[in-house]
Amino acid sequence: MIGADIQILMPEILLAVYAMGALMAAVYTTKDGMAPLLTWATSGLFVLLAVWIGINGQGTNIAFGGMFVDDGFSRFAKIVILLSAAAVLLMSESYMQRRGLLRFEYPILIALAVVGMMVMVSAGDLMALYMGLELQSLALYVVASLRRDSVKSTEAGLKYFVLGALSSGLLLYGASLTYGFAGTTLFAGIIEATANEPSLGLLFGLVFLIAGFAFKVSAAPFHMWTPDVYEGSPTPVTAFFATAPKVAAMALFARVVHDAFGGIVGDWQQIVAFLSVVSMFLGAIAAIGQKDIKRLMAYSSIAHMGFALMGLAAGTAFGVQAMLIYMAIYVTMNIGTFAFILAMERDGRPVTNIDSLKMYSKRQPLRALAMLVLLFSLAGVPPMVGFFGKFYVLRAAYDGGLAWLAVAGVIASVIGAFYYIRIVYFMYFGEEGEALDGKMNPVLWTFLMGSAAVMLIGVVNLFGIEPIAAAAAATLVN
Amino acid sequence: MSLFFIVALPFFGALLPGLMNAAGRSATAGVTFTVTLAAFIGLLTNLPAILAGDVVMARVDWMPALGLNFTLMLDSLGFFFALLILGIGLLIIAYARQYLSSKDHMGEFFTYLLLFQGAMVGIVLSDNILLLLIFWELTSLSSFLLIGYWKHLPEGRQGARMALTVTGMGGLAMIGGMLILGQIVGSYDLSVILQNRELIQADPLYVPALILILLGCFTKSAQFPFHFWLPHAMAAPTPVSAYLHSATMVKAGIFLMARMWPVLSGTPEWFVIVTSAGLITMVLGAVIALFKHDLKALLAFSTVSHLGLITMLLGTGTAFGAMAAVFHILNHATFKAALFMSAGIIDHEAHTRDIRRLGGLRTLMPITFMIVSLAALSMAGIPLLNGFLSKEMMLEEANHTVLFNSPWLVPVLATFGSLFSAAYCFRLIGHVFFGPVRDDYPAKPHDPGAGLWLPPALLIIPVVVIGVAPFVAEPFVKLVTASVLGSAAEMPSAHLKIWHGLVPALYMSIIAVVGGLVMLAIFTPALRIWENTPRPEAKVIFETIVEAAAKLAQALILPLHNGAFSRYAAVGTITIVVAGYYAWTTGTIGAPTHALQPADPVLISGWGMLVAATIGMVFLHRNRFLSLILIGIVGLMVSIGFVFLSAPDLAMTQFTVEVVTIILMLLALNFLPNRTPIESSVLRRVRDVGVAAAGGLASFALAYHYMLRDPVASSISEFHLANSYKGGGGTNVVNVILVDFRGFDTFGEIIVLSIAALLIYALTETLLGGPVGAKLLNRRPDQPRAGDMHPMMMVVLTRGMMPVVMMVGFYIFLSGHNEPGGGFIAGLIVSIGMVMQYMASGFSWASARLKYPYHGVIGAGVLVAGFTGIGSWFVDKPFLTSDFTYVRIPPFEKFELATAALFDVGVFLSVVGAVMLSLESFSRLARRADAPQVLHPMDIDPSREDLKEGV
Repeated sequence: MIGADIQILMPEILLAVYAMGALMAAVYTTKDGMAPLLTWATSGLFVLLAVWIGINGQGTNIAFGGMFVDDGFSRFAKIVILLSAAAVLLMSESYMQRRGLLRFEYPILIALAVVGMMVMVSAGDLMALYMGLELQSLALYVVASLRRDSVKSTEAGLKYFVLGALSSGLLLYGASLTYGFAGTTLFAGIIEATANEPSLGLLFGLVFLIAGFAFKVSAAPFHMWTPDVYEGSPTPVTAFFATAPKVAAMALFARVVHDAFGGIVGDWQQIVAFLSVVSMFLGAIAAIGQKDIKRLMAYSSIAHMGFALMGLAAGTAFGVQAMLIYMAIYVTMNIGTFAFILAMERDGRPVTNIDSLKMYSKRQPLRALAMLVLLFSLAGVPPMVGFFGKFYVLRAAYDGGLAWLAVAGVIASVIGAFYYIRIVYFMYFGEEGEALDGKMNPVLWTFLMGSAAVMLIGVVNLFGIEPIAAAAAATLVN
Repeated sequence: MSLFFIVALPFFGALLPGLMNAAGRSATAGVTFTVTLAAFIGLLTNLPAILAGDVVMARVDWMPALGLNFTLMLDSLGFFFALLILGIGLLIIAYARQYLSSKDHMGEFFTYLLLFQGAMVGIVLSDNILLLLIFWELTSLSSFLLIGYWKHLPEGRQGARMALTVTGMGGLAMIGGMLILGQIVGSYDLSVILQNRELIQADPLYVPALILILLGCFTKSAQFPFHFWLPHAMAAPTPVSAYLHSATMVKAGIFLMARMWPVLSGTPEWFVIVTSAGLITMVLGAVIALFKHDLKALLAFSTVSHLGLITMLLGTGTAFGAMAAVFHILNHATFKAALFMSAGIIDHEAHTRDIRRLGGLRTLMPITFMIVSLAALSMAGIPLLNGFLSKEMMLEEANHTVLFNSPWLVPVLATFGSLFSAAYCFRLIGHVFFGPVRDDYPAKPHDPGAGLWLPPALLIIPVVVIGVAPFVAEPFVKLVTASVLGSAAEMPSAHLKIWHGLVPALYMSIIAVVGGLVMLAIFTPALRIWENTPRPEAKVIFETIVEAAAKLAQALILPLHNGAFSRYAAVGTITIVVAGYYAWTTGTIGAPTHALQPADPVLISGWGMLVAATIGMVFLHRNRFLSLILIGIVGLMVSIGFVFLSAPDLAMTQFTVEVVTIILMLLALNFLPNRTPIESSVLRRVRDVGVAAAGGLASFALAYHYMLRDPVASSISEFHLANSYKGGGGTNVVNVILVDFRGFDTFGEIIVLSIAALLIYALTETLLGGPVGAKLLNRRPDQPRAGDMHPMMMVVLTRGMMPVVMMVGFYIFLSGHNEPGGGFIAGLIVSIGMVMQYMASGFSWASARLKYPYHGVIGAGVLVAGFTGIGSWFVDKPFLTSDFTYVRIPPFEKFELATAALFDVGVFLSVVGAVMLSLESFSRLARRADAPQVLHPMDIDPSREDLKEGV
C-alpha cells in the first residue's frame, strides 16, 4: 500500500533526497566550491525528472488516500516547472559566479522550492497543498535575499517574507474554515460538501484561499510585493520568480477551484474575473514610464497573470487548457527575455535601465531582433506565439460567458503593448547613449535565441502543446 | 497558380535578396523583381475565374481548435488589391534599384520589402480573420523594419515609433473585434461571417466589435484621430513611402472596411463613426497638405485626405458609395504612386524636397514635369483624367448623405475638402515646375535615367486611359464592387462616364477647381495666416500624450508602490475585508445554533480591560516600558479568555508563553534607540485607524458569526472525547491529542522549535563575532545605570522560589495526561524558574552553575521522543503508537504508566532547552563595554571579603 504510494511520489522523493544529500555533500566538502557543479547537476536532474514524468506518466494515480494526485494536469505543470527551473538555473550560473553570489545553497534551495511546487500542483488535499506551498515559499524567501550585503535584496526578502507570511496565514485561515464547514480537507470531500447550497463558512474559506493564491501568483491587488522583490533580488532569482513559481501557483489555483470548488463555479468566477481584470490593467498601466527593466518585467508579469487568470475565470475545461497554454508560452518568453536581461551589463556591472538599450540594434542586430520577437510576443502581437496564448484565454473567457472580460483584456493588451514597443523603439531608434558591453555568455545566448526561435517557429503548431494541454485540462475539469 | 503559392512566394523569396547581396545590386533587385513577377503572373492565371465571378478557395487546417485555419479566398476584391500590391510592387522594385545609393544595404531592404509584400498579399487573400490578423500585424512589423531602414536619420525615429505604436495598438484592438465577430458567428472564416449580417448586427456585442475593428482600420489607414503618424513615417526612403504609405499598407484598413462592408455597414453606428471620421480626415488632410513645404509631407497629407475620402464613401453604406470608393482606390493608387516616385526623383536630382527651394524645373526636368502634371491634375479632379471621375462620384454621393440630420454638412465639407485638394495640386505644379529657374539648387536638376522615370510613367497610362475612356474600367470596377457588396446590397445602375449632365456634383467640382486656383493665387497671405494661427502639432501632441500617459501612470502607481510596507499591508487588508464582505453578502447565512450567553459583569470587565489596554497601547506606544505592560495585560486577558472557554491547557500555555515573550522584549528594550521615530502625519494615522478598524470589525464579525454556529454536523471533537480515555489512557483530551493521537505532529513541532532555537544561537554567535559584536562592546549607555543591578531581595526570593517552581513543573508534567498540564507547559514553567535566576543573579553567575549545555538538553529531548516512537516498532506497531498500563507500587495508589509520558519527557526537555538557549543567546547581546563581568550573585553582600575591606 505505502509502497505504491511512494512509487507515485518517486520524482518528488528523489528530488528531495537529492537536495538533502547535496546539502550534506556541500557542507562537508568545499562548500561554495561545489556550487557550479551543483547548479549543473540540479539542472540536469530537473531535466531528467521532466523527461521521466513525461514518458512514464500514465493515467490518474492517487496516493496517500487522495492527498496526492498524479494526473495529466499535474504532470503538465510539473514538466513546465522542471524545465523552466532547469533553464533558469543554467542561465544564472555565470551571472552569480561572476558576482560572487553563487553559494552552494542556491541550487539546493531552488531544488527544494521545486519539490514544493511539485507537491503543490499534485495536492489533492488542503494539507498537502499547504505543505507544498510553504516548502516552496520558505525556499523562495531565502533566495530573494541571497545578496545579503545589498540593502535592496535584503529588503526585498524581508518584504516578501512578511507579506508572504500574511498571505499564508490567510490561506491557512481559509483552509481551516473550509475544513470546518466541509468536515474534510480532501478536495474530493469538499466538492461533495459544496454540492448543496454552499454555506457562508465555505464561501469565506474560498475567498481566503483565493486571496492566498492571488498573492502567490501576484495578481492585483495582492501584487504589491512583486515590483520590489523583482527589482531587489539578484536578476537570476527574479528570472526564477517570474517563471516556475508562477506556473505552480497558477496550477494550484486551478486545481483548488476546480477540484474542490468545481461545483460552485459561479461563486469564484466573479472573484477570479475581478482579479484578472485588475491585474491586467494595473500591470499594463504601471509599466508605462518604468525605466528599470526588472521592475517593468514585474508589472508585465502581473499583467500576464491577469491574462492567465482570465482563462481560469472562464470556469471551463477550455479555460483551463487556455490557461495552461498561456503559462507554458509565458514561461518560455520570460526565459528568453531574462536571458537577455542577464546579459545586460556595462564594464562587468549589471545594468537594468532601459535607456542603456538605445540603438542596441546597430551593435547587436541579431540579439536585438531576437529581443524584438520576444517583446512582440509578450505584447501578444501576431504572429508571435504570445498572440496564440492571448487568443486562447480571450476565447475561453468569451465562451465562458465573460465577453466583457475579453473586451477588457483586449483593451489592457493595447495599453500594455505600449511599453513593449517602447523598448523596441529604444533598441532600434533611440538616441545613442552609453552602450552596453557586447559580450554575452553562450548559455544565455542560446536561451535567448532558442526562446525567440520558439516564438516564431511555434506558430506552426505550438509544438503540439495544444492536445496535451487539452488532455491535462480534461483530467481536471469534468 | 494555387493561392498558397501566391502568398508564399514573397515570403520564401525574402530569403533570396539577402543571399544574393554579394552578387551585386542588380542581381539582388533582379531576383526580387522575378519573385514578385512570378507571384503577379500566378495571380493573373486566376483572372479567368475571377472574371467568371467565381471565388477561388484554398484551405489547409492549421489550428482548428482555435478557429485558425490557413484558408485563402480570392474574389474580385482580393484580386483587385493583390493586383495593386504586386503590380505597383514591381514598379517600386525597379524604381528602388535606381533610387537606393550604393551605400545602402540592398539585400536587407529587399528582404523586408518582400516580407511586407507577402504580408500584404496575405491580408487581401485571407479567408480566415485570424489569419488576416496575423498578416495584418506582419505588415506592421515589416513596415517598422522598412521605416527603420534609414536609422541614421533622426527625424525617422519619432516617425517609426508613432507608426509602430499606433498601428500596433490598433492591430491588438482588432484582435478583440475579430474574436467577438468569430464567436458570434461560430466561425472565423470570412466566407461564413459574410453570410451572417443579421446575426452580427443583432448581437449586443456588435458595437464593441465594430469599434474594435474600426480602431484597427483607422489606425492602419491613418484616419482621424490617428492620422498623425502617416506623415511622420515619410522619413523612410521614397520607395517605401510610395509603396507602403500611399499604395498598399495604408489601404489595408480601407480593404478591411470594404471586406467587412456587407456585415458591418448599414447601421447608424457604422454610418456616424465611419462617415464622420472619413470626412474630418479628408478636410483636415487637404488643408494641412496645402501648407506643407516638404514635397513628401504634402503628398503624405494628401494621401491622408484621400484615404479619408474613401473611408467616407464606405461609411455612407450605400451601394453607390461603395462603387465610388472602389473606383477611387484604383485611381488614387495610380496617380499617388506616380507622384511619390516623382517626388523621389526630384529629391534624388535636386537634393531637396523643399518646395520653397525649388521652382522652374519645367524646363530642366521636362519628363518629370509631364508625369507630375498629369498625376497632380488628376488628383485635383480635372476632367479627362481618372481623378475627376471618382471625385465627381464622391461629390454626388456626398450630396445625398445626411449626417447629424443636416443635409448640407457633408456636401459643404466635401466641396471644401476638394477645394483645398485642388489647391495643393496646383501648388505642387506651380511652385515646383513653374516660375523662374533658380541658380541655387543644392544640385543641378535634370531628368534621371529611364530606370527612375519609367515606373511612374507607366502609372500615368491608366490615369489618362481611364480618364478619357471610363467605360474601359467599368466592368472591372463593377466586378469588384459586386464582391464588396456581397449579398447586402444591389449593384447600382450608375455607369462610369465623364458627362453626367448639369448635376450638383458638377457645380461642386467647378467650385472646387476655381476655388483651388484662387487659393493658389492668394497663397502667400494665406500661408502667413496659417503660420500665425496656433495649431496642434501632431508630433508634439503625441509626445505630450506619451509623456502625460507616463506621468499619469506614475502618478497612479508610485503612491501605491512607494516601497512603504504599511501601504502594501493596507491594500492587502482592505481587499481582504472587501472580499470577505462580498462573501458575506452573497452567501447564505444559516440560523444560529447556539444561544447568546448572558453577559457576566466579570467577563465584561475583563473585556473592558482588553479593549482599554489595546487602545492605551495605541496612545502610549512611545513609552515602551508602559507598552510592554499593556501588552502583558492583553496577553493575560487572552489567556483568561481561554480559561473561560474551557481550554485550561491553552490558557496555561498562553500564560507561560506570555511571560517568556515579555522577558524577551524586556531584553530587546535594552537595544532600542532612545528616540522613537517621527510620528506619521495625522492623515496617515486616520487612514491607518480606518484600515485597522475595518480589519478588526471584520474579524469580530467573523468570530461572532462562528461562535454562534456549529461548523459541521459532526465535529471532530466528538471523536476525541470518545476515544481519549479508551485509546490514549488520559482524560485531558488536549494532552492526549498532543502526545498520542497527533504525536507525530508534536514530534515535528519540537524539532522545529529546537531548530529555531539553534538558529537563534547561530545567528547571535555570528553577530557577536562580527562588527556588530565590536559595536556592542564599545557601546556606552547614554543614561545612568541603576545602582543596584542585582537587588538582594530579588536574589533571595528567586533562590527560594526555584525548588517550588521545579516542583510545580513536575506536578504539571505528571498531571498532564488527565488534568491540564503536560510536557510543554511544564517545560515552559521550569524555564521561567531558571530565567528568573538569570535575571536576578546575573548572567555569569547563573551560567557558571549550569551543568548541562542547552544544546545537549534539546538533543536529549528530541532523542527521547524519537526513541519512544521507534520503541513501538518492536511490538510491530507503527511509529509512535502509544500504550499504557496501570501499575501499583506500594505505598502509592494505583497509577497509570503510558509510553506517551515518556514522549512527553522528550517534549519537556526540548522545550526547556529551546527556550533557555534562545534567551541565553539574546542576553549575550547585552554585553557591553562598561558592564563588569559580575561573578557575584549580589552587588551588596555583607559576607563578601572585598566589600568588607571597603574596596
